[in-house]
Amino acid sequence: MSVTFLLLIAFAVLMLLLLVWVLRDPRKQAKPDSDPESSEEFGQRHVGYFSQVRQALAAEDFAFLASRGSPQLARRLRRERRKIALAYLACLRGDFLRLWRLARVIASMSPEVGVGQELARLRLGLIFSFRYEMIRVKIVFGLSPLPDLGSLSDVVSRLSIRLETAMKNLGERAALAAKLSSSLDNGQGLDTP
Amino acid sequence: MYGFPLPVLRLWACSVLAQLLVLALLFLKGNFRKLPYFTAYAALNICQAAFLFFVYSHSWSNPDTSGILAWTSECLTLVAQALATTEILEITLRPYQGIWGLGWRALTVVSGIVVLLVALAARGHWATSSSSWFQLDRGYHLTFASALIACLALVRYYSIPVPPVFKMLLGGFCFYSCTEIVVNTLLQAFFKKDFFRHQAAWQLLTMSSFIVMQAIWAVALRKPLPVEKRQAALPSDSDYQRLSPEINEDLRRLNEKLLRLWKLEALPQ
Repeated sequence: MSVTFLLLIAFAVLMLLLLVWVLRDPRKQAKPDSDPESSEEFGQRHVGYFSQVRQALAAEDFAFLASRGSPQLARRLRRERRKIALAYLACLRGDFLRLWRLARVIASMSPEVGVGQELARLRLGLIFSFRYEMIRVKIVFGLSPLPDLGSLSDVVSRLSIRLETAMKNLGERAALAAKLSSSLDNGQGLDTP
Repeated sequence: MYGFPLPVLRLWACSVLAQLLVLALLFLKGNFRKLPYFTAYAALNICQAAFLFFVYSHSWSNPDTSGILAWTSECLTLVAQALATTEILEITLRPYQGIWGLGWRALTVVSGIVVLLVALAARGHWATSSSSWFQLDRGYHLTFASALIACLALVRYYSIPVPPVFKMLLGGFCFYSCTEIVVNTLLQAFFKKDFFRHQAAWQLLTMSSFIVMQAIWAVALRKPLPVEKRQAALPSDSDYQRLSPEINEDLRRLNEKLLRLWKLEALPQ
């Protein structure tokens, strides 16, 4: 059997697998905490915990304990700090994904969608996932110093506030449109001066 | 027609019955009003079956005539299939004008790329006229399946709800196209020289998958189609135009921060 035939069969099988995947109900697969509304609250909390996380990761505390304590304590502290950094990084990723998802909702509701903008966001999402995994691996294997996560939090926080305001505006506008539409359906019509 | 083995003839009869059932369901449940192109496709399939019955029953002076007539009728039904699929996608995405705009562009681009690849792959392999028909058929199904999957992936990416009945109709189309690709390729690979002597096997396999597709559709169409929801209250276009670049800029900034972390040199701890 030639390579072309094998490729064709592989392609058809891949298409069938993709078909099953695209037709599967995404809501059944979603975890309870991936609900946009609930995760919105959680996301805000993650960013809000930054001062405590920064305190836990403070270099001064570490230096102080290292000078006073035993090497075992220093190692344990480093391990703990690594865990905190990983957990916080995962939370930031959750925030990023939630905001990314919200951006898609805005796009799906819009009457015009820019191909360039959507492709750019898709690319950004892919790059973020790749970099996140790389940094995670570096932290897990101790190849990197514990990062300054503050700047990351700032970006997520700013984006979160902006999107929250935008979604609120959209929601109000949608509610107004629905109200107007139901008034027209009931034969009330619009109030005119 | 009488030259075909009995199992093929039986499958043929089953296939016609299944097609009649689907068409009857479309009319009985009133779904033909909502899906005119799909109904036309179902009706065209039955007409094609009747036409093929006539073509294969008749003795032609030129032995290639029946093949040419059969494949020409197949071309018509394939065009109708593409129209019926576009109709279902259009109904699904009607409340999401922006995504539909993106969807048809995606369909066009993906179809164009696959057609180009198929043409490149088939270059220099047009052995006989019959073989070229099979290659054309496979090329069409490759294009159709890829475009449909690309559009469904887009729908999933934007979390757009698709009613189960439309999922089954589109899934049926895609399943049939994928099995056509596999069957055409496998038979051509295993029976290189004797491929055209194994037309009965090809008929059996393709007709079986066609019947499966019809059965899926019959299950899907046993109830009337869901009432179309009111068009979603859309925000103005300026919201998207304003927000989308801003969000992308922020996401880009976040990525740059990550890149800085990635490039961070190890500092003494």
